[in-house]
Amino acid sequence: MRRSSNRKSSSASAAAGSGSTKAASKEFEKIDHLFNVYADKSSAIIDPEGIEQLCSSLEVDYTDVRILMLAWKMKAQKQGFFTLEEWRTGLKALRADSMSKLKKALPELVKEVSRPTDFLDFYSYAFRYCLTEDKQKCIDIESACQLLSLVLGTQFGPQVEKFTEYLKSQSEYKVMNMDQWMGFYRFCNEIPFPSLENYDSDLAWPLILDNFVEWFRENQN
Amino acid sequence: MNSQSQSQSQRRKNFKIEAFKHKVELDPKYAERTWKVLEHAIHEIYNNNASRLSFEELYRSAYNMVLHKYGDKLYSGLVATMTAHLNKIAKSVESAQGGLFLEKLNHKWADHNKALQMIRDILMYMDRSYVPTSHKTPVHELGLNLWRDHIIHSPNIQARLQDTLLDLVQRERTGDVINRGLMRNITKMLMDLGSSVYQDDFEKPFLDVSASFYSGESQQFIECCDCGSYLKKAERRLNEEMERVSHYLDAKTEVKITSVVEREMIANHMQRLVHMDNSGLVNMLIDDKYDDLSRMYSLFKRVPEGLSTIRDVMTSYLRERGRVLVTDTERLKDPVEFVQCLLNEKDKHDKIISTAFNNDKTFQNALNSSFEYFINLNNRSAEFISLYLDDKLRKGLKGASEEEVEVVLDKVMMLFRYLQEKDVFEKYYKQHLAKRLLSGKTVSDDAERSMIVKLKTECGYQFTSKLEGMFTDMKTSEDTMLDFYAKQSAELGDGPTLAVQILTTGSWPTQPTAACNLPPEILTVCEKFRTYYLGTHSGRRLTWQTNMGTADIKATFGKGHKHELNVSTYQMCVLMLFNSADGLTYREIEQATEIPALDLKRCLQSLACVKGKNVLRKEPMSKDISEEDVFYFNDKFTSKFVKVKIGTVVAQKESEPEKQETRQRVEEDRKPQIEAAIVRIMKSRRVLDHNSIVAEVTKQLQSRFLPNPVVIKKRIESLIEREFLERDKADRKLYRYLA
Repeated sequence: MRRSSNRKSSSASAAAGSGSTKAASKEFEKIDHLFNVYADKSSAIIDPEGIEQLCSSLEVDYTDVRILMLAWKMKAQKQGFFTLEEWRTGLKALRADSMSKLKKALPELVKEVSRPTDFLDFYSYAFRYCLTEDKQKCIDIESACQLLSLVLGTQFGPQVEKFTEYLKSQSEYKVMNMDQWMGFYRFCNEIPFPSLENYDSDLAWPLILDNFVEWFRENQN
Repeated sequence: MNSQSQSQSQRRKNFKIEAFKHKVELDPKYAERTWKVLEHAIHEIYNNNASRLSFEELYRSAYNMVLHKYGDKLYSGLVATMTAHLNKIAKSVESAQGGLFLEKLNHKWADHNKALQMIRDILMYMDRSYVPTSHKTPVHELGLNLWRDHIIHSPNIQARLQDTLLDLVQRERTGDVINRGLMRNITKMLMDLGSSVYQDDFEKPFLDVSASFYSGESQQFIECCDCGSYLKKAERRLNEEMERVSHYLDAKTEVKITSVVEREMIANHMQRLVHMDNSGLVNMLIDDKYDDLSRMYSLFKRVPEGLSTIRDVMTSYLRERGRVLVTDTERLKDPVEFVQCLLNEKDKHDKIISTAFNNDKTFQNALNSSFEYFINLNNRSAEFISLYLDDKLRKGLKGASEEEVEVVLDKVMMLFRYLQEKDVFEKYYKQHLAKRLLSGKTVSDDAERSMIVKLKTECGYQFTSKLEGMFTDMKTSEDTMLDFYAKQSAELGDGPTLAVQILTTGSWPTQPTAACNLPPEILTVCEKFRTYYLGTHSGRRLTWQTNMGTADIKATFGKGHKHELNVSTYQMCVLMLFNSADGLTYREIEQATEIPALDLKRCLQSLACVKGKNVLRKEPMSKDISEEDVFYFNDKFTSKFVKVKIGTVVAQKESEPEKQETRQRVEEDRKPQIEAAIVRIMKSRRVLDHNSIVAEVTKQLQSRFLPNPVVIKKRIESLIEREFLERDKADRKLYRYLA
């Protein structure tokens, strides 16, 4: 990854590279070029600053969910950073090798993500993306609420609103784990809101949702 | 006859034996004559003049008629003659007055049977040959049918007969004496005429009349009698009817009439009887009315839902009574009394079931389920039962024989079985046992061991392994002390004598080890022991449990009175301070000894505020210890005993905060048990749905406690988080075991 973007040689240039051949580097020529616009010169990785720049180029907000979707498409591992490999993966899949193409690809991406199977993958990705520490398994409630609004706000607005209200008002749970995160999505899909008529706490719903339903029902009266 | 021999002699040459072909044409006049003979005979028979007749002649006449194909005439003649006679008899019976009616009927019936017998004998050939082939009714039966049709069902007799019979029964029911023999004959007559005659002409109306009789009588009784008396009356009526049947009714009527009585007197009034104010089932139970209860049981057993009615009322009574008992705050102040009360209730109702309810298993089960229900309403039951045992094992069973001990322990085990939270009991039992062992205050080692065996049988080895460990530790400690003194006697010299009990941490109840400052003399010898012990058991750690020890100290009071005080370790620490000061404030004592506040207050209270044991004097003289108090050595202390016991190591009911703490520890202990059960189940089943897991876990743990489904769910989620389990990807209701 020490080399500049001058596509001079073909042998092992990318750190995470799977052997860049002449054809490959040619393929990724423009993509890499775009990468280097935003990447940090010394680390050769796009860092948070670079992402900020990227966002303004794309004319989306830093906190916009589309950036998260982009990260998902790239299968980015670390929040706030894009590696060359990830960049290549994402842009190739989006068939974008220039800023204009990338901008145009965003709406398509949004559509793609909202397809049920893809959305499920995206949704669980969103959670994992937030696990910044090694071996971290949970995210704090505050962040979880923000993430829920971001990711599910448009699709399941009422549920998200009530659930985040509940989460903020209770003190038993200080963090949320993957199981509870996924459980909520299933909840939104399977249980009619606000009637909650077929919710059965004797089934295998995570306890946090049992407590939410109880809280919701009590507060309705 | 004559013609036969004629033909025989004519045919002698052939010697052929041919079928008898009697072709003689009988003179019709001969038939008529023969019939007249027979008719006359029948008349004579009916007029009781049979003795003058020749059986053989008549038989022959009848035989001839049948033989010569005059069977029809003979039969129809018989019918006509008998009918004529019966009509005469009917009139005779009808004319009888009052009580003579039945007698006449009975008399005539006897005559008729006799006559019928004779007629049948005479006409036997006809019965055997003509009757079957022409499909007519045999003579005997014919005679009965004619009697039935012309006498019994005669319009002037039928109703009167029924009324007379029913009237007699009614009279007997109201206390009159009737002619039972006569009744018997009449009903037997009806039976002989055919069971449908008996049923239609007598039994059905009898049952109907009885039903309204008993309906009325029961209504009357229930208004004026209490339950016990009513039942006595019902029983009496029932027996009466059975006796009636045996004396003059057909045996098959018994079950029908008894069910009438059962329905009218018992089934229809069951609820009212059972719930009767002041005398119903509940009152009988309270007052141990064994006779009444036994009677109710055997009567109600006869009717549908009878026993279940008694059982249900008994159950709801027991549950309510039990609920009141376990929530009675007054009674709850004394745990031993509380448990004794429960035991008494159990004994009382056991006795009722065995004496009055025939040891009926369903009742025993109802009793058990009621006890199980209300004992678990109070979440301190486990603690109290342990305290009760503690009291018995500490002093209650002193001097009791081995059998008496077993009886008491077995009874307590019965209560133990009802507990849902057996693990709570275990915790308390351990605590109390520890105190008993350490203070040496147990009435009998055998009794203690017997109790452990019972618990082991009931709950398995795991339950009692730690308890047994405690006993082992006591023994080992004894041996250790002997060795210690044998080896160290030279070095110890004049120091205080130490007796150490070494407790293996896992077996004994965990106490927070708040060390206090021991007096220097004690400290020295303790250190010597520590060195000795760790010398032989390297790699172990010894921690002094100052909240559990005792001490014997010699104290000299004013005027040189010497006493030997038996105190707890804490008390000793406090008292030793007064060797160097006459008076100390609470705070000074607290600072010097570093005994935790709650324990210190209890300790000072027992030293200064208990009459007869006040080796310290407190100012002010109030009953409670406050942090401003000042304590002085009580020079004026006296006691008639040289040895005075002031220890406070007795097991007692926990205070509210202690109770909360124990409960919390129990809850904490339950978590790993639940998790272990979940893992065990999932390991063998691999995939299972939520409800099944909950059910299985509950089943596995029920011998120790009843797990809360919410807690189970939490444990499952914890196991998911730690990747022992996962949710099935396809069916979210299932969990999957991760190897």
